[in-house]
Amino acid sequence: MRSYSKPTLLAIGWLGLMLFFALFGWILPFKEWNYVFEDDLEMGLFSSGHILGTDSNGYDLLASIVAGTRMSIFIAVAAVGLGGLIGSVLGIFSAYVRGKVDTVMVTLFNVGLSVPNLVLALALVSVLATNVDINQAVPTWRRVMVLIISLTIILIPILGRIARGATMSWAGREFVTAARSMGMKDIKIITKHIVPNVLPALIAVAFLAVGVVIIAEASLSILGVGIPDGASWGGMIARGRNDLEYAPHTLYVPLFFLALTVISTNHLGDVVRSKLDSREAKV
Amino acid sequence: MSKISFWLQRVAQLLIVLLLVTFGVSLLLRLIPVDLATILLPVGSEIERDLLRTELGFDKGPIGYYLQWLGDFVQGDMGKIYFSGGTEEVSTHLRNAMPRSLLLMIYTQVTALAIAIPLGVLSAYRVGRRADKITSNILFTLSSIPNFAIALLLIIFIGVKLAWLPTLGYAPLSDGIWEHFQYMIMPVISLSCGLVSTYTRLLRADMIAALREDYVTMAASKGLSDRRILWRHVFRPSSLTLLTSAALSMGALIGGAIVIESIFATYGVGFEVFFAIQGRQYVLLQSTVAVIALFYVFFNLVVDLSCGFVDPRTRDRRVNA
Repeated sequence: MRSYSKPTLLAIGWLGLMLFFALFGWILPFKEWNYVFEDDLEMGLFSSGHILGTDSNGYDLLASIVAGTRMSIFIAVAAVGLGGLIGSVLGIFSAYVRGKVDTVMVTLFNVGLSVPNLVLALALVSVLATNVDINQAVPTWRRVMVLIISLTIILIPILGRIARGATMSWAGREFVTAARSMGMKDIKIITKHIVPNVLPALIAVAFLAVGVVIIAEASLSILGVGIPDGASWGGMIARGRNDLEYAPHTLYVPLFFLALTVISTNHLGDVVRSKLDSREAKV
Repeated sequence: MSKISFWLQRVAQLLIVLLLVTFGVSLLLRLIPVDLATILLPVGSEIERDLLRTELGFDKGPIGYYLQWLGDFVQGDMGKIYFSGGTEEVSTHLRNAMPRSLLLMIYTQVTALAIAIPLGVLSAYRVGRRADKITSNILFTLSSIPNFAIALLLIIFIGVKLAWLPTLGYAPLSDGIWEHFQYMIMPVISLSCGLVSTYTRLLRADMIAALREDYVTMAASKGLSDRRILWRHVFRPSSLTLLTSAALSMGALIGGAIVIESIFATYGVGFEVFFAIQGRQYVLLQSTVAVIALFYVFFNLVVDLSCGFVDPRTRDRRVNA
């Protein structure tokens, strides 16, 4: 195996830590993220008992971060997984079949892409998260579901178009023609010959998409339509905004975690893509 | 002739996309599980609501409603915003908001390009050297930091701790240049940081590729100065990628502007979207999203057109493609 560069190892390490928080955060000896430490309001960084301090509600910031990691990573992974799956199926299929199906699909992708991401997300979230009784608050789990669905819908045309483009470039190659002339079924050609070749490109973009989704969740929470009162990084930023004058560390902490995670996913996406490019160059 | 038909086809495509987008938003509104008239007039009587339903076409089914909205929209009637005390025209709101957002976009793009072009040219010229490596690393980090993070940090340090600039509000140009810009500096910085790194990285990669072309060796062997080769022979074709990327990044910029405008209370078009959602002003939402999509698609078309002027090679390639 070839060795990885230092930044890559750091990025993998950081994402590993975030995954640990997300999956096994409940092992850590914290109280609930929204447990109120009444005597310890707005404690600074590195105070005793609260390593990352507390906010003006008396929430321990480290406990909030761990719970927020779970939520933000869950939303990101779910949206990218779903969006990637649906998008790549649609993209690969339409590029393979061509003809009218492809034209319709491209038009639909273009429609999705012609509305800026965040505008579409805002519209979807606001429509989907409307209660039948408009005076009742929408429960957090439903907000999370709505966020995942909306972000998935946004990712479908982005990832779909990349899958389509990659399939286009592979479907015309000789080995595909050869497989077809030997009487291989289309489904088998797609799974055996197209998907393995398209997958690396999709993985590279999926890393970038995780970053996009994390940022989108935070943006929506700042605008008050995400999970502003819940345990997510965006929620913490939205709450911290109110205290930015007197307790700015309540903003620094979530911003730091969010930025480092996005830097890591972007870096890994770049690494995967550059490996891919060098492989392409050899072909 | 084929060129004209190519552009006609392109415009027709865009029109179809626009119609589908606006129809999609219109359908989306009808998916809301609550009666729209009740949301818009929470304290009105049933008679008033019935009047509103007929006025807006809620009683006509999704397609009828869309056609009525489209007819009004094309004629410049973008609907109303419903307050408890009366109504306001959406078009007045947008007319007020539009210049703010447009100025914000223009300043952001100009700032981003003004920083990115020299940086990109420099790092392509000195590829692999220390200056190139340092800028690459800084820009990579910068590209991963979301714009609201930059905005909030700017507010904390420049707005609150140093108290150099106001953190909320907007002043039109007519109030004086400094008045205007002191409200714009922080939003523009927040929005342009990400763009600078996108543009610089693109320009760098593109120029490195162009520097390997035979015509560059040719120009160098003719004894042209490095500066002339760099700007005349290498930058000009590379600027095409930059232009296309400027168009592509417009979407992210518009989205970013919503967050930034609401953080800095600029009250631009992005803020109208935010306001429409917070206040459940669905007619405002529908018309504003349509205006944004229209602007976005139109901008892309203009960029496509201008590509042909910057790089004549693409004209034929596009027609044949």
